[in-house]
Amino acid sequence: MAIESLLIINKSGGLLYQRNFIDKPPQSQAPNQPEPQQQLNSNDYLILASTLHGVFAIASQLTPKALQLSQNDIDYTIPYIPNVGMPTNGGRTGNGSTVGGGSGSSGPGSNKLGSFKGDDFFKDSFVSWNKSGLRQLCTDQFTMFIYQTMTGLKFVAISTTVMPQQKVATPSGTDKLDRYGNSSNLAIQIADNFLRKVYCLYSDYVMKDPFYSMEMPIKSDLFDKKVRAMIKNMNE
Amino acid sequence: MSRSRSSTTTQSRSLKVTGEEIWKNKTEKINTELFALTYGALVAQLFEDYDNDYSLINERLFSMGYNIGVRLIEDFLARTALPRCEDMVRTSEVISKCAFKIFLNITPHVTNWSNNKDSFSLIIEDNPLSEFVELPMNAKKQIWYSNVLCGVLKGALEMVQLDCDVWFVADILKGDPQTELKIKLNKILKDEIPIGDD
Amino acid sequence: MDPGRNYQANHPLTEQEKKQQQFRLFQESLPKVSQLAFQMLLNEIVPQAMAVENELNDLNSLEQTGDRTSAVEGERKGEGEAENIPINDLSLQEKEVSSYNTNLKIQPSHKLIMELAELEDEEKYNNILKRLRNIGFEMGKKMCEMLVFSNNPNLHFKEMDLLLIMKFICRDVWKQLYEKPIDNLKTNHRGTFYLIDYNYKPIQAFSLSEEAPAKELKMVEPFLEIPLGLIKGVLASLGYSPEEVICISSFVDKPADDRPKYGFPKGVSFHVQVNMKPK
Repeated sequence: MAIESLLIINKSGGLLYQRNFIDKPPQSQAPNQPEPQQQLNSNDYLILASTLHGVFAIASQLTPKALQLSQNDIDYTIPYIPNVGMPTNGGRTGNGSTVGGGSGSSGPGSNKLGSFKGDDFFKDSFVSWNKSGLRQLCTDQFTMFIYQTMTGLKFVAISTTVMPQQKVATPSGTDKLDRYGNSSNLAIQIADNFLRKVYCLYSDYVMKDPFYSMEMPIKSDLFDKKVRAMIKNMNE
Repeated sequence: MSRSRSSTTTQSRSLKVTGEEIWKNKTEKINTELFALTYGALVAQLFEDYDNDYSLINERLFSMGYNIGVRLIEDFLARTALPRCEDMVRTSEVISKCAFKIFLNITPHVTNWSNNKDSFSLIIEDNPLSEFVELPMNAKKQIWYSNVLCGVLKGALEMVQLDCDVWFVADILKGDPQTELKIKLNKILKDEIPIGDD
Repeated sequence: MDPGRNYQANHPLTEQEKKQQQFRLFQESLPKVSQLAFQMLLNEIVPQAMAVENELNDLNSLEQTGDRTSAVEGERKGEGEAENIPINDLSLQEKEVSSYNTNLKIQPSHKLIMELAELEDEEKYNNILKRLRNIGFEMGKKMCEMLVFSNNPNLHFKEMDLLLIMKFICRDVWKQLYEKPIDNLKTNHRGTFYLIDYNYKPIQAFSLSEEAPAKELKMVEPFLEIPLGLIKGVLASLGYSPEEVICISSFVDKPADDRPKYGFPKGVSFHVQVNMKPK
């Protein structure tokens, strides 16, 4: 899953962090082509964040009554998916120390993962805190995943993977459009795993920084680097 | 009734396991002595600064804890990803079995529930902050040595939309039989609950 | 059990190795807490030193103008500012926090640190630094006692000269606190020492811009007062009174080899000057 862009939105809808990770080359202007994609500027992203925040809230009201009543049966557990965003070991020497998982780190308990000991941030399945809010937005150009923490922070990942739209033959003979098959579930789970790791990075590099103003945009270089490294692993 | 009790015990057992597992495998550790002496140096300095005005010292410790708590909660949640607690009973278990275990390697005992289950006490044995500490005679009556813990709990709970009062009622350092901390839920900050949760 | 099975590799443990192993086991058996708790406590001390200074100044000026207790009460209840401050404005205002019947005004730590960095009153600034250094000093003294009594087979305090003491600080003290020793120790063998830590742990998560301009470095300075005090405290505990020791910190560039670029962009150098006692 290639992550194109990451946003972090605080509990009041303010944008804390936004980065694009895949450079979009300008499209050649052919006579029949639509206009080339414009990059959004920072103001646009602020508006995007607060819009998303609002849409997220509205979406939670859209759940049909019938589903709401049967809420106790829904399993919100996200299984642990190994190696999401983690560097693969062996055969990748690259530039040595650019990816934190290399052998160049110093000291005992080498802080590849900050204060998280071991080779991955977490290894067990967990329950999603996002029960009735928006989790995935599928379009034919990108897919957006949203992970919300208990403290109201939203981590939004925009991925270039497009969820396939398949026609599924049902036993009764009529074709049904099954977009929400297993592939979509898996994608959400991978995204949740990934975004929880970004949350771990946030708790390490943003919360532990006494200069960080709560609820304000994140200016930490270190956090940025770590996120980029993880995204690099995801995109390869 | 017995069925729900057994389900809570399986839940609380797995909380215990979660806490222990994270403590054992995922936490960098340092000697408690070091932690205790750092805190002791801090309190000693506060004694000197505030010229033995104990209420100010207590408040300062509480403020410190509060600022730590609002940040520490994100670490706790990222690390454990525990689901939202349905009630204070569950909250008390998460606090005593997971939170205290992961950060201080102790499991305080939960007791003294109020009738409507909105307040409880934590009995802390082996308080790592007060290892080897003895209070001077004139301080004994009024200072809550580990008041920073109250601040941490208050700040952390507030970030998960639980407005609570947290205060000490007894402390071994004062000559009481045990160290006891009380947590009382004032209200749930419903407006703050992130949409989509519940 | 065949006693031969207990031997490691092919040779029996020497007396020294046995002691080392015992010491290691002993250290591992000591009660522990999370490093995180320690780190957060340590870093919160700095903004709180600022808050204490503010409070003391307020109290002093109130004492001069009127009844102290009622003034403090009024300050605490925040007359005129007692409306509910919406929690979203955390970063802008003080938080009014109710704590068991009293209303505390708690300033968030980032605000206090900003205030400290922009403090123009030299006297106040120095007071705060002194406060932090004192805390470090107490820590250093106690740590030294702790380590002396820990029966470390590598340490022989009776035979320690100044150089060995500095090595003790670089290795054992630093390791206890920050899990790694000092990276580099330089000395002129006449009482001047430079202890260089390229990755001083408590400040690793501090975010500054890549070039780390002087103004931003100044904001980090208060955080170095505690280790300065600590070094002085250890030296005091081992016989070098604080009047004879001067401790200053400064930032150094990291060496050019390809260390992982994550972390605080600069290393820290602790310059220790000890007036050599005539022996």
